Amino acid sequence: MKNAIIFTGSGGQGVMSMGIMLAQSAVESGRHAVYLPSYGAEQRGGSAKCIVIIDKDEIVSPMAGSGGVLVAMNNMGYEKFINELEPGGVLLYDSTLLTMPIERDDITKIGIPADALALEVGSSKVANVIIIGALIALTGIVTQEEFQHSLDKKFASKSDAVRAMNAEALKRGMAAASQSK
Amino acid sequence: MAKVLMKGNEAVAEAAVRGGCRFFAGYPITPQSEIPEYLSGRLPEVGGVFVQGESEVASINMVYGAASSGVRAMTGSSGLGISLKAEGMSYLAGSHLPAVIVSVTRGGPGLGSIQPAQQDYLQVTKALGHGGFKYIVEAPHTVQEAVDLVYDAFELAERDRNPVFVVYDGCLGSVMEEVELPPMKELPERPDWAVGNFTDAPRARRMVSSIPGEVMLEKQNIASEKMYQRWAEEDARWEEFVVDDAEYVCFAYGMSARVCKYAINELRKEGIKLGLIRPITLYPFPKKALDNLDYNRVKAIIDVEMAIPCQMEDDIALQVMGRAPILKYAHSGGVTLKNEETTAAIRALIGGLNK
Repeated sequence: MKNAIIFTGSGGQGVMSMGIMLAQSAVESGRHAVYLPSYGAEQRGGSAKCIVIIDKDEIVSPMAGSGGVLVAMNNMGYEKFINELEPGGVLLYDSTLLTMPIERDDITKIGIPADALALEVGSSKVANVIIIGALIALTGIVTQEEFQHSLDKKFASKSDAVRAMNAEALKRGMAAASQSK
Repeated sequence: MAKVLMKGNEAVAEAAVRGGCRFFAGYPITPQSEIPEYLSGRLPEVGGVFVQGESEVASINMVYGAASSGVRAMTGSSGLGISLKAEGMSYLAGSHLPAVIVSVTRGGPGLGSIQPAQQDYLQVTKALGHGGFKYIVEAPHTVQEAVDLVYDAFELAERDRNPVFVVYDGCLGSVMEEVELPPMKELPERPDWAVGNFTDAPRARRMVSSIPGEVMLEKQNIASEKMYQRWAEEDARWEEFVVDDAEYVCFAYGMSARVCKYAINELRKEGIKLGLIRPITLYPFPKKALDNLDYNRVKAIIDVEMAIPCQMEDDIALQVMGRAPILKYAHSGGVTLKNEETTAAIRALIGGLNK
């Protein structure tokens, strides 16, 4: 399914949070969205994957076997799920943690040093928000404001510093994607 | 009311509360654990009681006790936990008590896998426990439908004084999609048969029991048979999706039905006249939907399930009676059906038929 975005990485990297927040911002801005997680029995360190489908029409089935965009947060995500990216699709990856050679030549590859940028912003925990920023800049699937709204909701009970760090990460991700174009 | 993005299991739990559930006892098991997790916080907010039992057996028997006292009671599990609840589910039926039981299904048999599957059709429709009892079994295919069915399930159970079973695969339990939640229902008066209901005392003491003596038991079983016959006439529900002109008809429930709808939309673009019959009640089985098909037009029925071997095949065959071939496409064990792969597989099945 061309309109499916597949998020992959390891448990603990915020892979599922990325998907949920993106789906939420799409629904709140009037589109239809589904989020389908899949993971092993492990909570941390095991592979993590979720699918988000966003459409102007109702989504008939969330059971996408492949997608037009694959987000890989590390080697594990890339290795395990690269075959689920459709030919002509976009691989968006964290180039700090995805260090393997990328073999496929029928796709567009966009590497963002998300983990390194996240550390600059304050914590590697916001690497996922950096990648979402890049995804938004590249696809326009939701606007910065729409996603910022989801972030604000998610971190409503956290400190101003945490909220500011996430907002900054979103901006950095968007800027990094613009440079990579 | 505005639509919100909600996880299937959490939406089901909230719908149960709004539908009047005031007692839940359960034991954690993937992929249904979000139901007890959610209710552990939510039920106390509405004056209800949540208990994490020490086991599945304890939990179903707590539901038995709560239901005896006239409270809207519920439990949930997955197939292997449902196996453990079998004794209690039979006692609930034997004691003629209303309750709602949810199973969120995963790969089997045995400990199986924690990933989604539909390998418990036979369990929920034919083998819930000893003694030959039946429950109405509902099988939603979207989060919204799951909410709507669970919301009204307690009244359905009270109508017949018989538990209602709701079954859906782990995909629907974990998927987040848009849902509109219904308003909170007014709770009914405690039923006059309930144990401990002495509001209109003095009256004879009440007893809820599943050991009534052989003559009474046979009478009750005859009454149950009449009830099952009435269900077959009045309570079988199904959806027909572009069946009117269909030459090939998929037969699928739950998430598999949505995968079929995807395939139908794609294959219709290629001129393949494919439709879907989707059971909403697995029991009573929607016999008429299959029996009423025009087999001069329909060239094949395609049973699509996340179960190997397919478990609905015999029930389908009993209605089709050789009037069309029954083809099958399935995954199981936690390997789920996928939209694109299923579309290609159905295209190939139909192609093979026309060679």
